[in-house]
Amino acid sequence: MATVAPETTQAPLGLAVAGEQVTGRTPRQLFWARFKKDRAALLGLALIVLLVLLGALAPLISKLAGHGPNELFTREMTDEFGIPLGPNGEFIFGADKSGRDLFVRIMYGIRTSLIVGVVATLFAVFIGVVLGIAAGYFRGVVDTIISRTIDVILSMPILLFAIGIAAACSATATGCLNGLVKPGLSLVIFIIAIFTWPYIARIVRGSTLSLREKEFIEAARSVGAGNGRIMFREILPNLVAPIIVYTTVIIPNNILFEAALSFLGLGVPDRIPSLGRMLDDASAIFEDAWWFMFFPGLFLILITLAFNLLGDGLRDALDPRSDR
Amino acid sequence: MLALSLLLAVTAAGCGGDDGGGGDEQAATDTGEDAGGEPQRGGTFRIQTDAFEWTGNFDPTGEYLGTALGFYSSLLVRNLMGYRHVGGPEGNELIPDLAEAEPEISEDGLTYTFKIKPGVKFAPPVDRDVTSKDVLYAFKRIGTPSLVAQYGFYYSVIEGMAEFTEKGGLSAKGTNEISGIETPDDQTITFKLTEPTGDFLFRLSMPAAGPIPEEVAKCFMKAGEYGRFLIATGPYMLEGSDNLDATSCKSMKPLPGFNPNQRLIMVRNPNYDEATDTKEARENFVDRWEMTLNTNAQDIFDRVKSGSVELAHASEPPEVIREYTQNEDLKKNYHSDPGDRTWYITMNLTQPPFDDIHVRKAANLIMDKEGLRRAWGGSVKGDIAQHIVPDTMFNDELEDYAPYATEGDAGDVDKAMEEMKQSKYDTDQDGMCDAPQCKGVLHVTRTTDVWKAMVPVIEESFRKIGIQVTTREFEDSYTVIQTVKRQAPVSSTPGWGKDYADASTFMVLFDSRSILAEGNVNYSLVGLTGEQAKEVGAAGTTSGIPSIDADIDECNKLQDDERLSCWQDLDQKLMEEIVPWVPYLDANADFVTSDAVTHYVYDQFAGEPGWAHIAMDPSAG
Repeated sequence: MATVAPETTQAPLGLAVAGEQVTGRTPRQLFWARFKKDRAALLGLALIVLLVLLGALAPLISKLAGHGPNELFTREMTDEFGIPLGPNGEFIFGADKSGRDLFVRIMYGIRTSLIVGVVATLFAVFIGVVLGIAAGYFRGVVDTIISRTIDVILSMPILLFAIGIAAACSATATGCLNGLVKPGLSLVIFIIAIFTWPYIARIVRGSTLSLREKEFIEAARSVGAGNGRIMFREILPNLVAPIIVYTTVIIPNNILFEAALSFLGLGVPDRIPSLGRMLDDASAIFEDAWWFMFFPGLFLILITLAFNLLGDGLRDALDPRSDR
Repeated sequence: MLALSLLLAVTAAGCGGDDGGGGDEQAATDTGEDAGGEPQRGGTFRIQTDAFEWTGNFDPTGEYLGTALGFYSSLLVRNLMGYRHVGGPEGNELIPDLAEAEPEISEDGLTYTFKIKPGVKFAPPVDRDVTSKDVLYAFKRIGTPSLVAQYGFYYSVIEGMAEFTEKGGLSAKGTNEISGIETPDDQTITFKLTEPTGDFLFRLSMPAAGPIPEEVAKCFMKAGEYGRFLIATGPYMLEGSDNLDATSCKSMKPLPGFNPNQRLIMVRNPNYDEATDTKEARENFVDRWEMTLNTNAQDIFDRVKSGSVELAHASEPPEVIREYTQNEDLKKNYHSDPGDRTWYITMNLTQPPFDDIHVRKAANLIMDKEGLRRAWGGSVKGDIAQHIVPDTMFNDELEDYAPYATEGDAGDVDKAMEEMKQSKYDTDQDGMCDAPQCKGVLHVTRTTDVWKAMVPVIEESFRKIGIQVTTREFEDSYTVIQTVKRQAPVSSTPGWGKDYADASTFMVLFDSRSILAEGNVNYSLVGLTGEQAKEVGAAGTTSGIPSIDADIDECNKLQDDERLSCWQDLDQKLMEEIVPWVPYLDANADFVTSDAVTHYVYDQFAGEPGWAHIAMDPSAG
């Protein structure tokens, strides 16, 4: 895994137009120059901004629509058999099985997806970076313990374990680990973080292993820098690019993970709208209520697509040498 | 012992939940005749189910599944007293079946004497007349612990039954007899009871009390084993019965007609003599019955529509119900009748905030029952329940009794808040539950579609009066609420169906003597005493809980009209002075049939199709 080290003095990769004076550019300028040419990545970024806005403004949207996310319109929006009614002027995405406004619920669902995806990923990144640097930097016993733990976690059938943990922690109102992990949003975040940090840790460990042999580390050590300073002040800044790239790749995976858990009925409770749970609820009646599956599915695709496009673009821009 | 009756709740509940319903008047009327002229004899009637849920492996001594009770009573086993196997109140009335006539009952109501009809024979390979000893033998099996008679408690009123069981039943060393049952000759059988029991004849109509030939059954002394060797007395028998080699226990191989996980196949019993039966009880049009498993419910309905299966024994999804009730061509194939079962939300009298009667009343007033019914598939699934016992079991005499009725059954915020104001959990008397106990109240429910769809309705309804429930879905939610020490405050899981047409089969749910640590069906813990609470692990408010035990005993001694009105009064007392439930659905039993079914009848006793009267086009299939 190559990295962009601030110290590199190789020739600038930006194109110098003939006749113009060749100016030095910072890595950040280089990154931006490459990134803004990547239309797909810009589209991804724009989509993410839009989705974040929709999610953040969900309460406002709900107010404008005049329908709360859990407000029931059973009489208005289900027929006498309890089958939901489709889109109309007031309910633009139609209703779910309980006659709730699907549009409002999807806006809240985006919010849930983003919160779970981002928060769980941040936890995973934090754990992964700390343990990954420690393993790569200290090597020896520390590395063995951490690396084998990673191997064990990566060899687990994730979904089965997630189902087990979710079931065990949802059995009572107090949750498990003395109430530390409560059923609901925090449980879902906990499960996802537990199973995704090894991916980050592995990459960080590999880069650290090669970085710790570089001259600038030796230099730092020679002026008396301690382990902590070397790991987090010298090595970490050089890992920013791969971490950012992997984070953007993991976020959509985690969003889908949450959707899968909710689809299996192990995710967030019904009061917290979740795109995955909507898809689950829709699966029984989608032949009669297409909108119930179409809209949540569409937005789930949009979210994951946006993050994937952005992730690809970031990787290309931050790390041109890995380019095709 | 009483705990076992929960099984019916589970199964009837299961059936109720799975069978969906459609009880509009128009559908209910086709209980009798369908179009198509005179019903024809013959045909192979194919039934598919998405789950076989036998509770006792089809051994009549232990089996408690409504589906099985229907097959036994209509087709396989002839009890002393039986049913007409038709819909409506008529179908809940008893008529003599194996008995020649109604029994002679002594004046003190303690002795019942029956004469058995001559000419009723066991199916091959037994081929002999049924005698009083065969009925006695069935009771000996009920009293044998190893055979696990799931509703054996119904027969504990027979003198000597408890002693017989204590000694080990049929497994006892030496002779062991039931002192209260006498068989002076092959035609006569007498039951002596320890106390007057107004519904004893109903209890005798349950399949466990039907005749069993000792020569075959003695080889099968473990629970459920006899189910694969059942020797019929009715118009049909398990396929292969005639080829059974009954010369020794070892020579008997399971009948091909029954495999608990795959199939139930019944053919005509050559030893059945129509002259011993009546047309009003059984007409026996069909030649052969085949019930098989198909775990893909959607496929079952597709097959019924295309005519490769005659009847779907599975839950109709709302869209199937809609199609069958709106499409003129399909309407005649959708059958919906009162199921004599109630679905309800149970509230735990020991757990805050439901330990306060005002909160329980407010819950009844606020619940959007119509919203709950739509989660089931709408009005075709049944009537909104306003009290405990289904109206049909009270001959509709309590039909207008609705102490917590609200407009459109949507719940009434003003009325509910008015009630809530009187509760100690509404500290500022503004009509909202505002004590800390009103937050995070655990609500237990099932993981299946209907129950999931009810969750938002229940949560939103409770929120209107300040109660914030936290819902947990459990695959085994019945186990959760039946385990007292888990203290579930409120649950929408349960439903309860009758065993027979007497309200006592509902009141057992409120009998404090039926409270058990595990397998408890008195979910609300009505009548719980402080001492009992320690025994079964109940916590919370365990003192001052009202009891209706004395009322139950009082009603149980009565008969006929007196008995009926006694139960009606008790139902009202429960709804007004105890309020253990929010009943919401008097569920129907509904079934979808193919075009080949020319004559559909509903069996009120079992809540199943009236197999003994159903006819089909013999050329189909």
